[in-house]
Amino acid sequence: MQTPTIDGSAQPRLAHGVRLQTDSKTGNRVLLFPEGVLELNETAQEIVSRCDGRTVADIVQALAEEYDADPKILGADVRDTLADLQQRKLIELT
Amino acid sequence: MIAPRPYALLAEITYRCPLHCPYCSNPTQTRSDQELTTNEWTRVIREAAALGVLQIGFSGGEPLARRDLPDLVRAAREATLYTNLITSGIGLDDDRVRALRDAGLDSVQLSFQSNNADLADEIAGARAHQSKLDAAAKIRAAGIPLSLNFVIHRRNIDRLAEMIAMAESLQAERVELANVQFYGWAFLNRAALLPTREQVVRAREIATAAKARLAGKIDIFYVLPDYYETRPKPCLNGWGQRYLTVNPIGDVLPCPTASSAIPDLRFENVRARELDWIWRESESFNRFRGTEWMPEPCQSCPQREIDFGGCRCQAALLTGNAANTDPVCELSPNRVSVDAVLRELNSLGYHAPTWAYRVNPKSLPTLEHVK
Repeated sequence: MQTPTIDGSAQPRLAHGVRLQTDSKTGNRVLLFPEGVLELNETAQEIVSRCDGRTVADIVQALAEEYDADPKILGADVRDTLADLQQRKLIELT
Repeated sequence: MIAPRPYALLAEITYRCPLHCPYCSNPTQTRSDQELTTNEWTRVIREAAALGVLQIGFSGGEPLARRDLPDLVRAAREATLYTNLITSGIGLDDDRVRALRDAGLDSVQLSFQSNNADLADEIAGARAHQSKLDAAAKIRAAGIPLSLNFVIHRRNIDRLAEMIAMAESLQAERVELANVQFYGWAFLNRAALLPTREQVVRAREIATAAKARLAGKIDIFYVLPDYYETRPKPCLNGWGQRYLTVNPIGDVLPCPTASSAIPDLRFENVRARELDWIWRESESFNRFRGTEWMPEPCQSCPQREIDFGGCRCQAALLTGNAANTDPVCELSPNRVSVDAVLRELNSLGYHAPTWAYRVNPKSLPTLEHVK
């Protein structure tokens, strides 16, 4: 499946009916939605917890500063993760 | 055997229901014992959350028949569960939608019998279709995510495209088109409900095309009719692995149809035992947990941790032994029993009988009366 390009100015948010919460059994963050649970890996947790109205560019910058990482490499990771979550209808881009 | 953690609880809070669908999943024999109280359900919900459950489905019967449904939803939200209501929509007026939304209900799955009112009402055995359309509009207006659930069978499978179009016009976010699985009332009515091979092939094409066309807009889940498959479904993702069901009187079931289908299985009750013990230690949850119980051809099959030997209830109903390989599997020595059913249904001149509607438990003689 082809990955859609995600613009730096896009604002990712959790989709309607999707909840982000901590799984008390594991301490990990999970997404809950009708009939489903998605356990987020570390990268996805960092990204999804910042999907609060900020732009993709802002999220990449914040993570690059926090982890002292190359924004270019990090940006590709963030876009891949967001595209995957968008395909699953767990986030919306506005 | 170390028990994994469960993810989802199906809370069957009542078997009362205004509909009489011939494929109803209610048990065909219902005891007339008293339903769990609000306090008892609240305790069950807390115990389930402590076990690791993240999702709860309020189901039935018709869960709206219980006036304390908003209280139960609130209790589930307080335990940080994701709350789904699985309903016919009958009885969902403005006040109740508001109360459920205010209690924090996360999602509604609304059942429909068809897109056509006359056929839908005939299947439900009640004038229900218009009330369901009204309920859909109220759920949308309240901003609660909406899924439509259709049970697919011989009488409505040719209308799949129209049912999907209806889901689009009602702005559902998700549609489940589930071919009827043959347990409970559906097993009794199998000769009337099982579609023909021709119908199944065509429906699969329509579902696949709709899935592609609506990708990113509506999630479409098409549940295959397993009699026509060559390998069994991975029932429950394995017995006692992810799911548990509590029925209206507090019996805890590894599978919602197990009480009808597997007569020698004895279930524990939440009035007598804690949920944690029942999940981990009880005989009913451990009998088919893991792979040790499996007979051949499952025991040496590379698929054994993919399909888990299929469905225990189906094995019990079709072979008389719940520990057999699901007879849907082409490797099962009992596959001939499924083939015989299909051959008859697909034979020239087969005339489907009329179905028997689900009757209310109230009108059934109870065990006490029979004695």
